[in-house]
Parts: sequence; C-alpha cells; structure tokens
Amino acid sequence: MTDAIATDAQRAELEQLLPFYANGRISASDKARIDAALATDAELALRLEIIRDDMAETTLLNESLGAPSPRVLDRLMAGIEAEPRRAGLLATAKGGFMTWFGGLLAAQPPRRLAYAGAAACALIAIQGVALTGIALRESTGFETASAPARSSERYVLLSFASDARAGDIASFFKRFDASVVDGPRANGYFKVRVGDATLTQAQVDAIAARMKSEAAIVRFVAPAP
Amino acid sequence: MHTESDEELVKRIAGGDRLAMKVLFSRHQTRVYRFALRLLRDETRAEDVTGDVFMDLWRQADRFEARSSVTTWLLTIARNKSYSALRKRRDAGLDDDFAESIEDEADDPEVVLQKQDKGLAIRACLQKLSREHSEVIDLVYYHEHSLDEVAKIVGIPENTVKTRLFHARKKLGELLKSAGIDRGWP
Repeated sequence: MTDAIATDAQRAELEQLLPFYANGRISASDKARIDAALATDAELALRLEIIRDDMAETTLLNESLGAPSPRVLDRLMAGIEAEPRRAGLLATAKGGFMTWFGGLLAAQPPRRLAYAGAAACALIAIQGVALTGIALRESTGFETASAPARSSERYVLLSFASDARAGDIASFFKRFDASVVDGPRANGYFKVRVGDATLTQAQVDAIAARMKSEAAIVRFVAPAP
Repeated sequence: MHTESDEELVKRIAGGDRLAMKVLFSRHQTRVYRFALRLLRDETRAEDVTGDVFMDLWRQADRFEARSSVTTWLLTIARNKSYSALRKRRDAGLDDDFAESIEDEADDPEVVLQKQDKGLAIRACLQKLSREHSEVIDLVYYHEHSLDEVAKIVGIPENTVKTRLFHARKKLGELLKSAGIDRGWP
C-alpha cells in the first residue's frame, strides 16, 4: 500500500515530529505547524492517535519493570566511602525560591505544565470530596486523600480527556472511590489507586473497563502494577 | 518547601556531599534502572549498571555542564554502560534479535488472547523490537525526551533520530499487523 504521507515531503516532515508533539517536547513554531496540519489532515491525525496508544502502552510496559533493589544504594554508598574524600563545598544559594521556581517552571514542557495545571484543579476538587467524605463517614480510622501509597494496593494508569472538566473528574474519582497517588507522569498519565489488595486482578480489570467507558472524562486507562 | 533542583544537587555532590548523592539517587534510580533493563533484559546487570552510573556521577560531578539536563547526562552514561556490558556478554550488536517472526505464533493461544486486548498486543510487540528501536521509543514515549536530548543520549544526529523513530514505529505496526491487528498504518 502506498504511504501517501511518506511521498509528500512536507507531510512526512511533520509526521516525523508527531512523537515529540505527543510528548510535548517540541518548539512552539513546530507545534503550531502541526496543529494547523492536524485540523485538515485526517491521516496525520490517525498517526497521532496510533502514537498516543503506543505511548500509553510503552508507559505501562516500563512501569511494570519495577525498581532496583536496596542493594544498589548500599553498594554505591560503600563504593563512595572507599573513594578518597573530597574537600567540602559550601552550598551557595542563588536567587532564592521564586527564582528557582520560575526557572523550574520555565524548564518544563508545555504539555506537562498543562497537565500539572489540570492535575492541580482535579486534586483540589478531589481533596474537597475526600474531606467531605471524612466528615460524613462514621469511621474509626482517619484517612486522607494524600495517604501514602502502599504496595498492597491496586492501581490503574490513566490519562484524562483533554476537555474533561475538573468537576467531572472529581465526581469520577468519587464514583470509583479512587485517588491519585502519582502524576502527572511522563506523557500526562496518572497512577490512580482503585482499591486495596483484597481486589482480584479480575476486579481491577472490571474497574478499568468501567472507567474506560467514561470516554468523556478518560482518554486511556489500564490496570497498572 | 524548597526542593533542590538536580543541578543544585550535582553541585553539592561535586563538593563531596553524600546526602545530596542519596537524594539524587532516589530521584533518578528507577528511571536509570528501567532504561538499562530494557536494553540489557537482565535485572542483575541492570542493577549493576545503575550503581555504576551513579558512581560515575559521583566521580565526575565537577565536570557536569548545565548545557544538558542531569537526566540526559545520566541516561547517556547508562546507555554507554549498558552497551559496554552487552559487548562483554558477546550478545550485543544493534541489529540483533530483530523481532522473531510472530507469524509463527499465529495459532498460539496467547496471540489469540492478545488480539482481544490491543494493549497487551502492543506491549508484546514493543518487547520484540530491536534494542536500537526500543531505546528511541522508550526515550521519547516514556522518558519524554526532546529530539536534541535523544540525539545526545544515543549519540546520533537529530535527523537520524527522526528516521530511526519512524522505522521503529513502522516496525511496531508491522508486528501488530502480523499478530492480526491492523491500525491502518503501515
């Protein structure tokens, strides 16, 4: 089958930039060119959807790889202790917090900033729901929306639809009794707690499937390790 | 609360600050480990590489130039060390194990199952990509690097990154098509 995009130099050039458009690490001028092309080029838009699917699955694949064992840090620190000592260096504070924070924000890709903004709105809404829930619940234990994640819990990885509203996201979390434990991660994904270890894999799959059916709010969801 | 930037931590590490080293390690160990593991496909060796990467950082912190990010720097070292470990193991070569044909698996129940779950199938095919292809996919899709950062980490020109990524995506699509999932491209 002839690849119509590949035979058109201008479209091919934009197509090769799509992965960077999707991860938000692209210049403003290239982003504007791609935005304009996507508005009229359905084939290019289809490629972008494929890239987004692959991006989500690549994230899940990498997340399933776990983390290094504590022995790595132990060995590293032992190795460092065995090295000749260096002269100490006094840390020099430059500029203060606002300068640092401004620099940090400036260094972030626009997509990440956008997701961080959405996440902040969502988390404020979720926190309100959680606090209300705590007040109304006759519970003997105290639980907060920001309770640290335990390895015995069950998670999904999800991303929100670009036009999902903070209020809808908050209701979504309430309906599923779910909470964000990490994110936004690379490419705008959140790790979301959906229950504790008593949930079977089949139950987590079912929750993910129900979440997936809410396409107006969720763009992607899959059980996560 | 002031959270120190990576660059600030590296400055402290250059002065022999062990606590800064632990903070930077805890911040980036998983990223480095996963990147190495995807290349090496061996957990023990990936852990060894992870430790070696941070040991290099400890020794060379005073030579860090802020032209690239600390993450880019760490992944560049991780990549070099991973390929060095692969060469030692004599199973390196960028064109090795280039996706065993999944046509042979046409009647495999696993493939049938995968057809029912596109996500599973994509992940299975991602694992069949060559190292050359999977590293650019991981760097862009998971580690969220820009074109120039990937070029620095892999040590190739930006145009080569673009074409390599294109071929990796195309190969992934072909593998999926062989598994019975046609996404309209390639």
